[in-house]
Amino acid sequence: MDGFRHVPRSACSGVLWPALTDDESARMLALQYQFEQTQWWPQEKLAEMQLQQFRSVFAHAVATVPYYRERFAPWRSGIESWERYRELPVSSRADVQQAGSDMHSSESPPAHGPLMKTESSGSTGRPLVTLGSAWTQMMWHALLLRDHLWQGRDLGGKLAAIRSFAEPGRAGNWGAATAAFTTGEAVVRGLSEDIDEQLRWLVQEDPEYLLAYATNMQALAARSLELSLRLPKLRQVRTYGEMLRPDARRIVREAWGVAIVDSYSSEELGNIALQCPQSGNYHVQAESLIVEVLDESGKPCPPGTIGQLFVTTLQNFSMPLIRYASGDFAEVAGPCACGRGLPALSRIIGRQRNMLVRSDGVRHWPSFPMQAWKDVAPVRQIQLVQDAIDHITVHVVMPRDFEGEEAQRLTAALQQCLRHPFRITLVRVNAIAAGAGGKYEDFVSLLVP
Amino acid sequence: MNPLAHVAVPTSELPGVVWPAMPSIEGARMLATQFQFAQSERWTPQQLSRAQFAQLGLLLRHARDTVPFYRERFGDVNLGQLDATSFAWIPLITRSDIQAHFEAMTSRAVPRDHGRVYAGQSSGSTGSPLRFRFTDLQEVFWHAYTLRDHLWHRRDLSGRLGAIRGRVTPGAVAGWGESTDSAYQTGAAVMCNTHSSMEEQADWLLREDPDYLIGIASNLQALARHCAGRGLRPRRLREVRTYGEALHPDARAEVRRAWNVPLVDMYTCREGGYLALQCPQHEHYHVQAEGVYLELLNEAGRACAPGEIGRVVITPLHNFAMPMIRYAIGDMAEAGAPCDCGRGLPVIRRIMGRTRNMLHRPGGGVRYPRFGELLFGDIAPVLQYQVVQKTLRDIEVALVTSRPLTADEERRLRELIVGQLGDPFAIVFVYRDSIPRTAEGKYEEFRSEVQP
Repeated sequence: MDGFRHVPRSACSGVLWPALTDDESARMLALQYQFEQTQWWPQEKLAEMQLQQFRSVFAHAVATVPYYRERFAPWRSGIESWERYRELPVSSRADVQQAGSDMHSSESPPAHGPLMKTESSGSTGRPLVTLGSAWTQMMWHALLLRDHLWQGRDLGGKLAAIRSFAEPGRAGNWGAATAAFTTGEAVVRGLSEDIDEQLRWLVQEDPEYLLAYATNMQALAARSLELSLRLPKLRQVRTYGEMLRPDARRIVREAWGVAIVDSYSSEELGNIALQCPQSGNYHVQAESLIVEVLDESGKPCPPGTIGQLFVTTLQNFSMPLIRYASGDFAEVAGPCACGRGLPALSRIIGRQRNMLVRSDGVRHWPSFPMQAWKDVAPVRQIQLVQDAIDHITVHVVMPRDFEGEEAQRLTAALQQCLRHPFRITLVRVNAIAAGAGGKYEDFVSLLVP
Repeated sequence: MNPLAHVAVPTSELPGVVWPAMPSIEGARMLATQFQFAQSERWTPQQLSRAQFAQLGLLLRHARDTVPFYRERFGDVNLGQLDATSFAWIPLITRSDIQAHFEAMTSRAVPRDHGRVYAGQSSGSTGSPLRFRFTDLQEVFWHAYTLRDHLWHRRDLSGRLGAIRGRVTPGAVAGWGESTDSAYQTGAAVMCNTHSSMEEQADWLLREDPDYLIGIASNLQALARHCAGRGLRPRRLREVRTYGEALHPDARAEVRRAWNVPLVDMYTCREGGYLALQCPQHEHYHVQAEGVYLELLNEAGRACAPGEIGRVVITPLHNFAMPMIRYAIGDMAEAGAPCDCGRGLPVIRRIMGRTRNMLHRPGGGVRYPRFGELLFGDIAPVLQYQVVQKTLRDIEVALVTSRPLTADEERRLRELIVGQLGDPFAIVFVYRDSIPRTAEGKYEEFRSEVQP
């Protein structure tokens, strides 16, 4: 890697290196300098500093946020320990939606900069409106820059991004998170465009890095393989916003010879966990959030088990979220082999509505390698909807009707994937609509509230 | 564990935010520089060299365009394709060049954003002082290297810092100073002057009981010796830090013997800033390549191989007020092999000292003589001494003694000194009431007045 390309942009005449940057960039690099250290701290030290920072957020929340003033009245005296922290009542997405502006601080610190509103899609329809400040935003950008640095990206490369609701565009740089550096250009396309059109565009742009939703990325890679298209300059792809299918990494590797780096973020919480540069784990961004993974009885999950995520924002003083049930589930990892003390998740599982429930009480998050049906019929896309405890309706996009024994064989393949003899109804459809925000879900349960 | 994991949490100025800290803008700039240092110190020599020559290119163009001395010197030379080979064609300058061309070496157009321009002066234990110019920008970098030294050596910034310096007013202040305090909460700093007697310095040390002690190398060595002889051991002391002079070979051992703490040395000069810091894992030094292009040149004018001793030639990368390009500062140092600590910064194994501290041998050749006060003390009540080479045959030894010496003591001292020098010099003794240190507190045990 060419280190000199990672020298920040100097704002001082005659000085190229070491760079003397503009003030905003200096602040960004001051955070990175701390991240370089804190990522290696032992978990106890991280936890100690998190609790210190949380006390500050908590005091602010109780004093200035109506929703918390009542809710946390019994804990007003302060949160002096993690035991005390875990007593605090949790809030669901619905609670937050219902509270509305009662969630807003009446005194967001002016030094945190102007407030900004974020509307998070929520695949189920009703959007969640959150409030953040320039400081909150800066922390998110700092974590994105951390991701670039962790993954050793060449910031001078061209970045192509396929985003929901985006108009085609072109910019001279990668954006605010990398403003301290001179970067290559960035090109953007909308998610709603046809895959073949997206591919034509990618071949033409020939980027070093590609950013897209996981399913979009996988579809692009699969289509590239079919058409034997290469992206010769591509060095790495970044996915976000959806769960990675188990075979996504393999297909992308086959198609383009590069690795996927996944990240776990949400519009209301920012970057929650970033893929470890050494292992495949996801590291919780402990400087920005407290993340708990709790079982059904509310107890912390040990490594290797799956639980629901509860998140507290540590840097949002305009609308603090405290023990907020994001709706996602994840599997807890043991200490990461990379040596970082940042807590690790081995898998992000998805939301509760992506959980399968069987009549024998077994629950799990099914996943579907594309290979499972591709060998059976010319299936382009598929979505399973569990509408009864023993029945699943399968929406299938394919260019023609089923022929011969294709329907029976597909049913059998799906039953094998689901590890249960569900009754299955196949329905051929022209398209499967993405949820709000352009996200796809392979499996949706209508049984889970 | 990563080498940075120990670093304290900076001081946050953003309301409500304790961690990660958002310090004042001065603090943020300081940490932004440390962020870059943490990366560049891990670069390969090739990466470092590329960055250095990119920066040198800007400096040289500035020098050619705004400094009369270099305008003449560089003329129409193409400064576009700089590398170690093309750079080595530039003639060296010496202390006397800077003294002779002070005005001509001053830039006519210092970039406004480099801040104020200052006039500085370096002592020079003999002869006339060296005047030079520098800017606020170099002050900023100076502080950054000071902080880097603290971070490398994992100092507890909340500790008490004791400093014995030449130009300080004795007393105490809150905080270690600008280098640290823009970003971190530090402990108190207490000061003592080098012109105080050893008894006074030792009293001060025991009374103030600092965690860290910094001072001129020879002064702290003398203090260690003084304390060792009297069993004086400050309770809290964790580390001794020295600067300003070539470290005596016995200094580390004497500090260890007296106080049972390590000695960390650094290599700085007033006109060039920080040149090298001691490696946190070894006793050798890492060139501060982000601030200075430092060459060690052998007699043939070529870069020294590891183990070879040569002239120290520096080009500070950020002095746009008075560029010093290939300036032979008058020191000799030994090149080191690449370090196993993971830092790619070039290695200096030993700093030999000023060329004026070298003995010129009657039969040709030079060497650094060393004397041990302890040996002198075995023969006669010698409190202080200074050996000056007057000619290729004559040596003058100035002595401070507690009583007049006998003829026999003088004879034995003479034998000892001639033996130490290795050649049959004629020795003359002169007696003094004291041998003062320079204003900065420096002291030369040996000096040669022989012109090479």
